Amino acid sequence: MNFPENTPWVEKHRANNFSSIKGQDESINELRNFLENFPKKKAIVLHGPPGVGKTTMAYAAARELNAEILELNASDLRNKDKINSIVGPASSQSPLFKKYKIILVDEVDGISIVDRGGLPKLLEIIDKSAFPVVVTANDIWNKKFSALRKKARLVALKPLDYKVVLTILKALAIEESVEVSVEVLTSIAIKAKGDLRAAINDLQIISKIEGEIKPEDIGERNKEESIFSALQHVFKNSNLDSKMFGIYDEVNMPIDELFLWVEENIPLEYKGVELARAYNALSKADVFRGRIYRQQYWRFMVYEYFLLGAGIASAKNSNRTGWTNYKKPTRILKIWLQNQRAVKKKSICQKYAKHCHISLKRSMKEFMMIKILLKNLKIRQELRLDEEEIAYLDKPLSSEK
Amino acid sequence: MEFNQNLGSDVWTEKYRPKKFGDVAGQVEIIRRVKSLTASMNLPHLLFAGPAGTGKSTLALVVVKELFGESWRENYLELNASDERGIDVVRQKVKDFARTKAMGDVPFKVIFLDEADALTREAQQALRRTMENYTSNCRFILSCNYSSRILDPIQSRCVVFRFKLLEKHDIKNIVDKISQTESLTVMPEAFSALYEASSGDCRRVINLLQATASISPNISPDLINTIISQAKPSDIKIVLDYCLAGDFINAKEKLLDIMLRESISGQDVIRAIQKEVWNLSIDNALKVRLTEKTGEAEFRMVEGSDEFIQLEALLASFVLAGEKA
Repeated sequence: MNFPENTPWVEKHRANNFSSIKGQDESINELRNFLENFPKKKAIVLHGPPGVGKTTMAYAAARELNAEILELNASDLRNKDKINSIVGPASSQSPLFKKYKIILVDEVDGISIVDRGGLPKLLEIIDKSAFPVVVTANDIWNKKFSALRKKARLVALKPLDYKVVLTILKALAIEESVEVSVEVLTSIAIKAKGDLRAAINDLQIISKIEGEIKPEDIGERNKEESIFSALQHVFKNSNLDSKMFGIYDEVNMPIDELFLWVEENIPLEYKGVELARAYNALSKADVFRGRIYRQQYWRFMVYEYFLLGAGIASAKNSNRTGWTNYKKPTRILKIWLQNQRAVKKKSICQKYAKHCHISLKRSMKEFMMIKILLKNLKIRQELRLDEEEIAYLDKPLSSEK
Repeated sequence: MEFNQNLGSDVWTEKYRPKKFGDVAGQVEIIRRVKSLTASMNLPHLLFAGPAGTGKSTLALVVVKELFGESWRENYLELNASDERGIDVVRQKVKDFARTKAMGDVPFKVIFLDEADALTREAQQALRRTMENYTSNCRFILSCNYSSRILDPIQSRCVVFRFKLLEKHDIKNIVDKISQTESLTVMPEAFSALYEASSGDCRRVINLLQATASISPNISPDLINTIISQAKPSDIKIVLDYCLAGDFINAKEKLLDIMLRESISGQDVIRAIQKEVWNLSIDNALKVRLTEKTGEAEFRMVEGSDEFIQLEALLASFVLAGEKA
């Protein structure tokens, strides 16, 4: 097949038969089994996170059967009329006159309650269709899909192991003559978190970068650009327009990380009353986060995002101008460093406590005094401190006395 | 008074820890009675109650050394209730230890359970049964700061001894003895400084003395104060001062620094802030509001919120208060 030069690699290199799909053998067997037994079950739902091969599997199935794919995506499922015009005649056509078909309803998550009749129509199609219906979804356990779940066979596709992703990337790099080290490929594979599509996109992007590529260049760049522009918008504007309400939609990072970014940068933009208000909004967003953890009621996330965006934006009295150099969160690093140190402190205190017949708690409390005593090398020896513990005592943090 | 030096140790609290009844400072009546109980070779369970650094652990060690002589280590188990998570650990360790018979002439082993008042009521109930089950080959010595926190049924199974803070002259004797052996010169005012700083806790006196002596053998009050200020945990007030001066960024840095360096929790910090609010130089109505905010932050932390975010939000309201003051 010939592809124009700028074809996304994810399209160009999409696996076109079952045997070239990696890491999903079980799901492929299920799909094959479903097709062989059709019409025992009329529909199958392939569900799982993005980039694990749901759509690819449907296309590969069509190739294996020498069938034609009739694809519907979310935007085609806006209304009954449209579905009727496409699927209605197609699904009831006899295979005698036309090529065998597979009806693919891709990304069914996109059908919302607003698409009136969309879901009931899909169920109707499944009942009437003369061809197998393959549905793909990210989250099939949503309440709105309960009827669909009963009608269809469900197959869960798991995130790909990074080793599988790495193998594919290596082959692709050779095929596309990308000069890239295994470290970089590994780094892409790990950061993709099981999403092969993202990994291949990343590889294509770096293939266009001149010069040597280092593992730390991967992925983070895009992520940082998106968080910087979101922070810029929240921190500079005080009018709450529609952009403000979805401001973090484009930011591809877990909300916990988002908290750290916002927390780190609030003091750079806000002072006095505005600072207090902004932190008030952040602390309330954090309260909702705690409630989600405790009650597993995920809708609270709406308020989390609202407070992190509109809440913090509205803390200021007027718009800001100028450009601010936002900082990466430092807290996690500091905590990690300190935890490493705290482990040493604790092990020293444990040794001291045992030796001197007191509790660990008390020796932790008296640590500042014990530290002075431990300058004595003989005492270090007596407590059998190891090299790392001694290094901890000898190398204080820069801010320590 | 005779000191039996543990020449093997360079930690003075261990080096000068008394080894015989006659060496223990103060607590004269208690020593006399425990000594005669030990001599009878039929020791009941003992409960030592009293403040830290008054000789409870020391006396327990003296008892076992008197009882078992050289083989005391094989017949003695020391547990610390405030470090053992839950009674199950205690029970398991007691069980493993009590399974084998005592070595030597004494028909029982000794378990010293330090800081027993750190155990919950349920754990103490369980401990009571454990004590009964192993009475035939184990004796318990419990120590606590407050005997009121020990369940009555446990107290009734023990002979209770109440330790008092050491008298000034007892501590003087100890300091004199150590100074002599270690060739230190302790000025009279320096001794007062030592005594004041340690509030009758013998361990603290000796540690402070050794820390000071590590700088110079001439112990002066100034030197002692230098050590005390070095050993003092950081003050949360600095953080609040930054806030009231409007310097949020430094307040935040300082707070994180203190919390991480000294491994103290957010709730410890909140407690310190709550105590400090009323000493700030701002008007009372503002103090009331800030205390309420402090309470809200503590509540949220208890509920599982992020302690840094909540503390930072609290600091931001202190900055605001500073502007109004």
